[in-house]
Amino acid sequence: MSSNHPLWHNLFRPKEDRISEVTEMWMTTPLFEKISQRECRELVKTMHPRQYKKGEMVFNSGDIGASIVLIRSGAIEIKAAEKLLAELFAGDFFGEVALIIDEPRTADAIATEDSELIFFLRSDLDEWVKRSPRNGAQFMLNIATVLAARLRHTNILLSLQNN
Amino acid sequence: MLATITQHPLSKTLFIFLLMCVVIALLAILLAPLLIPIIISFALYAVLEPMSEVFERHGLSRNTSSLSVLLILVAIAAISISLLLPHLSSQLSSLQTQLPVVWNSIMSMGNELSQHIARSLGLDIQSSGLTQHYFDKANEWGKSALIEGSNILINLSILLVLVPIFTFFLVRDYRTFRNHLLDMLPNSVFEQAWLIYHRVAHQLQEYIRGIMIQSAIMSVMATIGFYAVGLDSPFLLGLIAGVLNLIPYVGPLLAMVLPVLLALGHLPVDLWLVGAAIMVILTVQLIDNIIVIPSVIANAVNLHPLVVIVGILIFGNLFGFIGMVVAIPVISSANIIYNGLHQNIKTRQILKQNHDKTAQV
Repeated sequence: MSSNHPLWHNLFRPKEDRISEVTEMWMTTPLFEKISQRECRELVKTMHPRQYKKGEMVFNSGDIGASIVLIRSGAIEIKAAEKLLAELFAGDFFGEVALIIDEPRTADAIATEDSELIFFLRSDLDEWVKRSPRNGAQFMLNIATVLAARLRHTNILLSLQNN
Repeated sequence: MLATITQHPLSKTLFIFLLMCVVIALLAILLAPLLIPIIISFALYAVLEPMSEVFERHGLSRNTSSLSVLLILVAIAAISISLLLPHLSSQLSSLQTQLPVVWNSIMSMGNELSQHIARSLGLDIQSSGLTQHYFDKANEWGKSALIEGSNILINLSILLVLVPIFTFFLVRDYRTFRNHLLDMLPNSVFEQAWLIYHRVAHQLQEYIRGIMIQSAIMSVMATIGFYAVGLDSPFLLGLIAGVLNLIPYVGPLLAMVLPVLLALGHLPVDLWLVGAAIMVILTVQLIDNIIVIPSVIANAVNLHPLVVIVGILIFGNLFGFIGMVVAIPVISSANIIYNGLHQNIKTRQILKQNHDKTAQV
């Protein structure tokens, strides 16, 4: 029986196709700017893919968050107090605040189609930062940039509403 | 009424928590023959994992870094065994031959004390035979403890084969194995389970690393102290003091027994040596409490001292020495898991009630 036979494969090894595709997706986001594709690929191997049915809650407002989520396929609605805040599709990410602070989620996330989501947990981020501090610092800087941009965007929206 | 009770967050939490306890207990029973090597391997994993991370940071693959860690572990074990085992064996056998002398000396002291009490107070303690009975019991216990000690040395050879193998696979595959286990959980509890796991793992790692460093420091300090005051078998006594230090509160008291008995065994009784043995233990404990604990394991576990003592006694009664050592990490992990479950279930209940109210409006 050759080593290529499925019986000898490591059942726990993540699928290569998915790893490559998810790596490509993350590399197009601002979160992995100035981080090598090789490093991102190693990190993707530790991430957690999960399947959601149409209409299934990804998380509720008030849940303690522990991860940032990338949409590999499908669509997600972000709602707060029944008000639609955003509609997200493959390649988009959400929930990045949970990577920084141990606080409850501030909005609901619902799958509007059958979706595959990739969870990048804070605990995995912590381990990565310890293992690779330089890349971890760059990632943190990128998150800060994303959050600052979103804060700026919200401020502009609020000032427009007030005027 | 029954529905209200079963839907209450507290009863839900208790149910899930007890279910988890049953599963863990069943696993422990199933793995009983391998439990000690598994516990030691996990403790070594907690200590060696940072080393493996350093190797990975310097560009080594997971396989190579795990293998390097294993080689370092084997090298340290081989050097320690070749250097320490002959000393340990000779000190253990000299202690075994010394013990009857120690007990005889203590018995004669006891008899003298009983006669003194009989003369001055008119109480005949010796005739009741109580003194003899307790000394016989203590003698038997002491002998069996030393035989146990010798058995541990024999079992060490089995551990020496299993522990490096388990540790290697833990360093290499633990993260992957853990990820796949936790990924089996349903979507609704996936993130929360990770949060709880991360808190437990972080606390356990901190505790294990801290307590192992603390025990090593205690062993070295006690050995130097016993050697300085001229007590027999200083290395063995220091090692025992360090191992017993793995048991909070109770361990240091137990560590005091053997050195004091050995000091009492010198005929005629050298009170200076007895005092010096007690002083060594007390000084080492003082340094431990003032310097080592605050800098090494402060805040590693957040439990009330009474819970710690009662837990150690119960676990010790149920599972012996290993039970006493694992009592604190087990209770502290159970505490985090229970609180995490309760917080999660309560939050969901509140969210559900708010949602129902909004729907009614």
